[in-house]
Amino acid sequence: MGNATRIFASPEVLPLARERALEPILKTEDLWKVYRSGKMEVPALRGVNMEVFPGEFVSIMGPSGCGKSTMLHVIGGLAQATRGRVLLDGNDLTTMTDAARTLLRRHKVGFVFQKFNLLPTLDAYHNIALAQHIHGNGFDPHRFEVVAKLLGLTERLTHKPSELSGGEQQRVALARAIVSEPKIVLADEPTGNLDTKSSDAVLGLLRQLNRDLGQTIVMITHNPDAAAYGHRVLHMRDGQVVDGSTVH
Amino acid sequence: MIRYMIVQNVLHRPLRTLITAIAVAVEVAMVIMVVGLTSGLLLENAKRVEGVGADIMVQPPSASVFLAFSGAPMPIAIGDKLKELDYVQAVAPVLVQFNSVNGLDVVFGVDPATFSAVSNGFVFHSGHDLQNPNDILVDDIYAKAKKVKTGQTMHILDHDFHVAGVVEHGKGARLFVFISTLQEMAGAHDKASIFYIKCDRTDHTPAVMDEVRQLLPRYEIRPLKDFISLMTSSNLPGLGAFISVMIGIAVVIGFLVIFLSMYTTVIERTREIGVLKSLGASKGYIARVILSETTLLCLTGAVVGIGLSFLLRTVFIRLFPALSILITVNWILRASAIAIVGGLLGACYPAWIASRKDPVEALAYE
Repeated sequence: MGNATRIFASPEVLPLARERALEPILKTEDLWKVYRSGKMEVPALRGVNMEVFPGEFVSIMGPSGCGKSTMLHVIGGLAQATRGRVLLDGNDLTTMTDAARTLLRRHKVGFVFQKFNLLPTLDAYHNIALAQHIHGNGFDPHRFEVVAKLLGLTERLTHKPSELSGGEQQRVALARAIVSEPKIVLADEPTGNLDTKSSDAVLGLLRQLNRDLGQTIVMITHNPDAAAYGHRVLHMRDGQVVDGSTVH
Repeated sequence: MIRYMIVQNVLHRPLRTLITAIAVAVEVAMVIMVVGLTSGLLLENAKRVEGVGADIMVQPPSASVFLAFSGAPMPIAIGDKLKELDYVQAVAPVLVQFNSVNGLDVVFGVDPATFSAVSNGFVFHSGHDLQNPNDILVDDIYAKAKKVKTGQTMHILDHDFHVAGVVEHGKGARLFVFISTLQEMAGAHDKASIFYIKCDRTDHTPAVMDEVRQLLPRYEIRPLKDFISLMTSSNLPGLGAFISVMIGIAVVIGFLVIFLSMYTTVIERTREIGVLKSLGASKGYIARVILSETTLLCLTGAVVGIGLSFLLRTVFIRLFPALSILITVNWILRASAIAIVGGLLGACYPAWIASRKDPVEALAYE
């Protein structure tokens, strides 16, 4: 069985899984992130508590400046928390060194950004392969092929980012995020720079990745329609998760 | 993968790549040419001295191995005493003068008979041997470089000479006049700068040298067989330092150009560095990308610089036929290594900056 067909908890059984005390893949406990500007302290996160279970697709909504992106950076190991705990696949990020968090990102996290963030000098093929290269397990042609096919990129692999549409670029970014089989994909406004049609396509792909590959996804968005693609929507305000709802 | 990325990065900004590579090329060419010119001149000079055909060269105490720096403090009568030594076949006194008019040349004042006895005579391209006090012989390289022909008048050492003949190069100097004429002009009556000794057999050279040492203690007595090995930059006062300074300047140029180029590269690619970090690239990985890119730029520059050196040598020799530029594999490798090491040193700080960038700030960079 190929890696791409790895079995995860299916969305339908998630409530049951939680009831059966399945360990969350991501858990934050009283998570604080405070930025210092001179003598000023600006808290971006103020005691966030949340859980994400394997195979879940969680959307996080909230107004600008509420701390959504900061939380994504902290739970993805890009930034260090000021206080509290972040447990990602059993690893406490808050006690880790920078080098250890780098390793954790390499093996367990896939990022998707609003601005795609593809390397402009590389074509789509090498942008995707780069993730596998950095991952360190060598190039896996089977996994690469499955991902490229799933995201409809087979015919666009030789093109550089400047030769791709926004939707195509985001699909390449998605492929790059999942090609190394991360435990969790963190998407920061993945449709923020796309038109409606491309947005729907990318969101559909995210849902497909979650459904078919069991990929755990945490997505930040401003758009309620986009948020509705997740199983749950968490609402943030002033650095805190204030409400959570299940999407039916 | 990393190699592909580095090549693509280098190709992404062709003008910057070109300018950086050219700067490294100039650095490499500068080192090769400076060393090549000095080594070439020294070697060519050494070959000419060896080409005299003598076995031993006698100079006054503390005289330089570089003949142009020698004065004329030896009485010419020493030659008669040297001639009387065992195994000595011929002795040729030579007065050396340095001509700085219309170029830098060593002029040999010779006695045609004794000089021929030591050197087996000149090979004439045209004209004849020295016959009159104002006659001068020039070698073929000098004749070509200065467009001198047999029969014309040449003005050097504040004196008009008649070009009696053009001879094959390689007999110690490029210009030859009567020793008596040169003694007169230099106010060095009955003096000589050098005595060339020809032994009856080559294997008698050590024995003759011992005899000369006993006769003339403290004098510089050198076998000409190994003369080339003496013509090194360390034997010419200041030359070693000059070469070191020139190499130092070249290294500083390379260092600064690479530093600036890679620093701007790192600033420009801040967001890309953030992306690499988000993918889990370590500090070492990012530093390796920057340093590998530098190495590629330096290698390209080195290859261009080597080619440029050979091109310059061809042009210089065509313009100045008397010039000798020695380009050796040893110095090609050393100049390339100097450029690469200098470049890598210049890239160390940008690589360090890149590896330490905060990923969140890097990703937010516009």
